[in-house]
Amino acid sequence: MKRREFLLAVPALGLGAAMFPRRLAGAQAVQTFNGPMADANEVYRPVTLAAKPGAQASMSDAQRDDLEHKLHCQCGCNLDVYTCRTTDFACSVSPAMHADVMGLVSGGYGAEEILAAFKSVYGEKVLMAPGKSGFNLVGYTMPFVALAVGAAMVTALLKRWKSRAPVAVTTPSSYTDASEGELAALDAAVRRDG
Amino acid sequence: MILVGELSLWVALLMATWGATVSFAGGQLRRADLVESGERALYATLAMVILASLGLWTALLTHDFSIKYVASFTSANLPKVYTITAFWGGQSGSLLFWALILSIYTAITLWTNRTRNRELMPYVAGTLALILIFFLATICLGSNPFERLDFIPADGRGLNPQLQNPGMAIHPPNLYLGYVGTSIPFAFAIAALLTRRLDAEWLAAVRRWALLAWFFNTVGIVLGMWWAYVELGWGGYWAWDPVENASLLPWLVNTAFLHSIMVQEKRGMLRKWNVTLVVSAFLLSIFGTFITRSGVISSVHSFAQSPVGKWFAAFLIVSIVVTAYLVSTRLHDLRSNAELESMVSREAAFLYNNLILVGIAFSVLWGTLFPIISEAVRGNKITVGPPFFNTVNIPLGLLLLLLTGIGPLIAWRRASIANLKRQFLTPVAVAATAGILCLALGVHNLAALLSYSFGALVVATIVQEFYKGINARHKMYGESRIVAFPRLIARNRRRYGGYIVHLGVVVVFAAFAGLAFKREFDLTLSAGDSKVVTDAWGHRWTFLSQGISRYNVLNREVTAIALDVTRDGKSEGVITSEKRQHVDSRGAPTFEPSTEVGIKGSFKQDVYVVLAGVRGADGAEIRVTFNPLVRWVWLGGALMAIGGLVVMWPAADRQRAQAGYAAVLKPRPVGERVPDLVGA
Repeated sequence: MKRREFLLAVPALGLGAAMFPRRLAGAQAVQTFNGPMADANEVYRPVTLAAKPGAQASMSDAQRDDLEHKLHCQCGCNLDVYTCRTTDFACSVSPAMHADVMGLVSGGYGAEEILAAFKSVYGEKVLMAPGKSGFNLVGYTMPFVALAVGAAMVTALLKRWKSRAPVAVTTPSSYTDASEGELAALDAAVRRDG
Repeated sequence: MILVGELSLWVALLMATWGATVSFAGGQLRRADLVESGERALYATLAMVILASLGLWTALLTHDFSIKYVASFTSANLPKVYTITAFWGGQSGSLLFWALILSIYTAITLWTNRTRNRELMPYVAGTLALILIFFLATICLGSNPFERLDFIPADGRGLNPQLQNPGMAIHPPNLYLGYVGTSIPFAFAIAALLTRRLDAEWLAAVRRWALLAWFFNTVGIVLGMWWAYVELGWGGYWAWDPVENASLLPWLVNTAFLHSIMVQEKRGMLRKWNVTLVVSAFLLSIFGTFITRSGVISSVHSFAQSPVGKWFAAFLIVSIVVTAYLVSTRLHDLRSNAELESMVSREAAFLYNNLILVGIAFSVLWGTLFPIISEAVRGNKITVGPPFFNTVNIPLGLLLLLLTGIGPLIAWRRASIANLKRQFLTPVAVAATAGILCLALGVHNLAALLSYSFGALVVATIVQEFYKGINARHKMYGESRIVAFPRLIARNRRRYGGYIVHLGVVVVFAAFAGLAFKREFDLTLSAGDSKVVTDAWGHRWTFLSQGISRYNVLNREVTAIALDVTRDGKSEGVITSEKRQHVDSRGAPTFEPSTEVGIKGSFKQDVYVVLAGVRGADGAEIRVTFNPLVRWVWLGGALMAIGGLVVMWPAADRQRAQAGYAAVLKPRPVGERVPDLVGA
């Protein structure tokens, strides 16, 4: 690439960046080491549904704990609800969210229904990982697509390099493989000589 | 001393500016006097930065609370060791610490190259001076640790309790040593690009620096994991937090470089790629700091948002544009006459290894940035947590582990069928046996099963390589095998040190796979109550509460629970977990309560107890986690560090080492047969 081409390319990239949505510039809330930044009054929103008729607890405690691992505590800690409520003395958000989960479990709601209920109240950010649908699929597949493209490029590159190499002449049939001892001696000699 | 320190910062900035100006001018005009002046200016910069650092340490140790930084991160009752480490406990101090390390590295680079690489050195010095200018200007104008308050508080706020931990005292310096270490290879790369001297000369100069950066980055990451495990109390050591990810990115790219550099040394290939990796490692280090400082991405490690983030963003953009310009206008000079004799060769394996390493780096970067990409595209805030990263990275990690086992088994240039059979037979048999054994033992988790099988393949590869090398020495020199073992390593530190690193990687992967057997229990206990739970191995554990105790010690109020623990009816001793409320010298609370985890560890598993809450006088909510194989993470990390040291250790016979270093496989005449040697 010539200097002029590069200098032309930079403003084009700059223009592209300027057209990128301004939302990117908006910083997200920051968690500090001082504990959660928000308390329940600020960020907690009740997630309640009427109990199903004749409802019984829809899952065991262990299953409920697994479910809570999929819900993101909203106090700003980056932990899931189960881990936060069993770790952080000061957090008032995760116990409240836990109470909602217990209410929904005893109301007979299954894991997917409970996740959907939380999502409808808090939005998708309440899930510890985005659902595998829509634009989120780009998130999940991009690393593998990039790897596949990279593998194809590497393979093409290797083939090109191979095509440059001189064609090897067939080994005369009189050759025999070196013995293990000979190979070891040669290996050591090569190492000694660097 | 404090005033001297403050003034020294400004003098250091002036010195670095002079150093950059005359170094580049000296290089362009080929004026040795200017080059020398530039180098002296950088030595003077080091002296000034040391003075500034001593000034800050003096302020910290004398509790000069008129200085905002001292009042914000220390208190009169803070233990002395943490008063010293508070130097890097806050933003402006850590930036000064970064500048200190960079100026030390710069001086070492100038000194060790005073008679070597003279064509490159003016530009190396100039580039390093520019980086120093950035940091010193950021400190002086954006985040000055000597900034004074309008009043003098009676006491400081104190250091965050979670930073009052031995791991946190040494983890950040190691990470900084690693991050800053990428600056030296970057400076050499820029110098090589500017001078168009893109042969092996600059690579030879940077390999040891890249290794040093890799070593400290490895130690820093592992210590950070240990700190998170024992201090944060959430029960794990890696949460895919953006700042954790940021430390992993340069490590992955540097690891790729340390492999691909061998291909360029041996075969003269991958010139463009190596320059790209060196530059990327540096840029990713800056990117990591940008994430920490800017608050663009939510992280438990983030400091409060500050204008410094914008400085880093600007520096990052300028660095990217400049390096992109230099690389794109020198593509012709970076062209190599690469020839590949076979797709089944060490060169090809290294290329795929690089692809996986960079692929993992990309996926980590992608996952870290995806929340803001998603918000920009859809307007939706999302969380990208461990489930996402595990889904994406576990397959890639397993591929990397597999290649770690395969790569060393394939010969340079061309591997024949006979060679492949001979090399692969034992490792593949061992891997298959390990897989069957794991299945028989009840390991049905696919990722864990593959991890143990591939790990066995790598270990078998390493053992086979050592065995062959020892046998070769035994036959050649008649040495006993016990004597041959250390001599084998000493004679080829790069190769066998690398195998030790690989062994460490396997151990770490085995420990990661152990997470498949993690068990967590949420228990509520009053004094005298007990609960029984069962771990993944089928052992029944009883936890009997001795009750809650409350007492004051040093700078904190402690609430603790003691648990009598038995396993299958046999006593395992007492585990204690605490909540600590830190206070200042007047007894006022300084931070939110922090957790002190109770851990009873063995090589099989850790019993990890967290006091999560207190109910009434003696009721306690605790979380018990059975964390399998955690000690193996620390052991694997230590092995990786030891391997790195072996690789870095200078050879006793310098000349021989140099000869070995410069070894390049010469093109062989067409048709000539070469035995199937596997060489490093």
